[in-house]
Amino acid sequence: MNTAPRTSVKVAYAIAGGALLIVLTQLIGTFELAGRAWPPLADVLSYVLTPTGAGLLVRNSLVTFTSAAQGFALGSAVAVLGAALALVVPMFRPGLDRFAAILHAVPTIALAPLLITTVGREDAPAVIAALSVGFVMFVTMASGFANTGSAQHDLFTVFGSNRARRLVRLELPRAVPAFFDGLALGAPAAVLGATIGEWFGAPMGLGLVIVSAMQNYQMSLLWAAALAATAMSLLAYLIFVQLQRIAMRRFT
Amino acid sequence: MSTIATLPAIAADPTEPATRTAVSVIGADKIFTLGRGKKLQALAEVDLEIAEGEFVAIIGPSGCGKSTVLRLAAGLDEPTNGRVEIFGAEPRQLARQHRLGVAFQEHALLPWASVRSNIALPFKVAGRPVDDARVDGLIDLVGLTGFEKARPKQLSGGMRQRVSIARALALSPDLLLLDEPFGALDAVTRRRMNAELARIWGEEKITTILVTHDVDEALILADRVIVMTGRPGHVRTVKTVDFPRPRDAEITRSSEFHALVDELTCLLDASDGAAA
Repeated sequence: MNTAPRTSVKVAYAIAGGALLIVLTQLIGTFELAGRAWPPLADVLSYVLTPTGAGLLVRNSLVTFTSAAQGFALGSAVAVLGAALALVVPMFRPGLDRFAAILHAVPTIALAPLLITTVGREDAPAVIAALSVGFVMFVTMASGFANTGSAQHDLFTVFGSNRARRLVRLELPRAVPAFFDGLALGAPAAVLGATIGEWFGAPMGLGLVIVSAMQNYQMSLLWAAALAATAMSLLAYLIFVQLQRIAMRRFT
Repeated sequence: MSTIATLPAIAADPTEPATRTAVSVIGADKIFTLGRGKKLQALAEVDLEIAEGEFVAIIGPSGCGKSTVLRLAAGLDEPTNGRVEIFGAEPRQLARQHRLGVAFQEHALLPWASVRSNIALPFKVAGRPVDDARVDGLIDLVGLTGFEKARPKQLSGGMRQRVSIARALALSPDLLLLDEPFGALDAVTRRRMNAELARIWGEEKITTILVTHDVDEALILADRVIVMTGRPGHVRTVKTVDFPRPRDAEITRSSEFHALVDELTCLLDASDGAAA
């Protein structure tokens, strides 16, 4: 505690860092250091504040948020079940590990046409979000389950525990911090997955806004949509990091 | 290394009902395979017989295989050769019937559970309704009243060990195995814990095997002390301890007690020399 910087100092660093970033983006835009495609931050923000801009961003952010949340829930649930299956039936472990790795290795670009023909344009973003979240969650949960101390396992053995009670009373509670780790890492992945999923012909969403703004050379809109996606992803991350801290306090 | 002390069976006292054998270890070898063809013999032909209701302490230097004996009795390991029987059946049977209580050197408490839920865990693991009166009684027995809702990280080392012992006693086990439960404690707390354990044992009279490297602790608590020597581990001597109970400060300060401490300490030293 004594060696770590005090909270006030940390907050000051964070504010200074944020301010530096804002000033730099503004200056690069103003002096066109990165070409005309990089508008000053003030222009982007003033666009966000216009009624048209705000309405457009809010409507599309909600669509992306919904897809991301659906994918987040689906991906997390499937991954937790998969990791639990690998734990309870060790025979499945190598197969599931490899399946997750292969699924993760397939580029989204290659999957997109498949998903559009199978689940359709509207649901593809949620599925791509689920795939991104699922891999992160599976890896985190698998390591969380592998982490149980052998003394506690011995304890359950000498008390004559059956498999189900060992899972419910030892392995699942021990994996709770890992679960929240997975959520914190998965939340930005869900937003990213949903946004990219919307590039492939979704009727609405931040991804669609990004693609159409780029094609119509609406730089302020393009940057505003990117900013909205980033804010969403950052906010989700910060919320789940807080939950993860609470889980760490409660479960270790 | 070839001398094997075979313990005589406890002579049955004709005035008392015949005592059942609780634990018998017969010619147990334990060889661990370390990989690349290397092997480590942890135990060589260990023979032990422990009667029901008896408190036996196993002492020996580090690495003499005393914890391995306990793991064999708990059914956590199997002997490479020889047999281990607990109440005439294989050790795992006792665990499956929820009749075994164990406290390890590592307390292995569940960090997310309160003192109360940790002590009640054996009931839940056995799928039995939690006997609240029993749990309250145990909390009182180990002197943790008022700490029911505390979680392990809020407790001192000694308190955690007491929770671990209370948990081991929860289902009134037929066999209690204690693997250096006070190993990590300072001398003062350790003495206090010894006295508490003696008092608890006096109330419950459970067949107990205590593994320790502390000679005083063994003599305060046990009916018999088994001295083991290492590499490979085998039984060197068995000493019957017949100081009257409770063994309070008056007894631990007596010259007889000190003589026995010295004798056993010498045996440990000698066994160290033999192992070196």
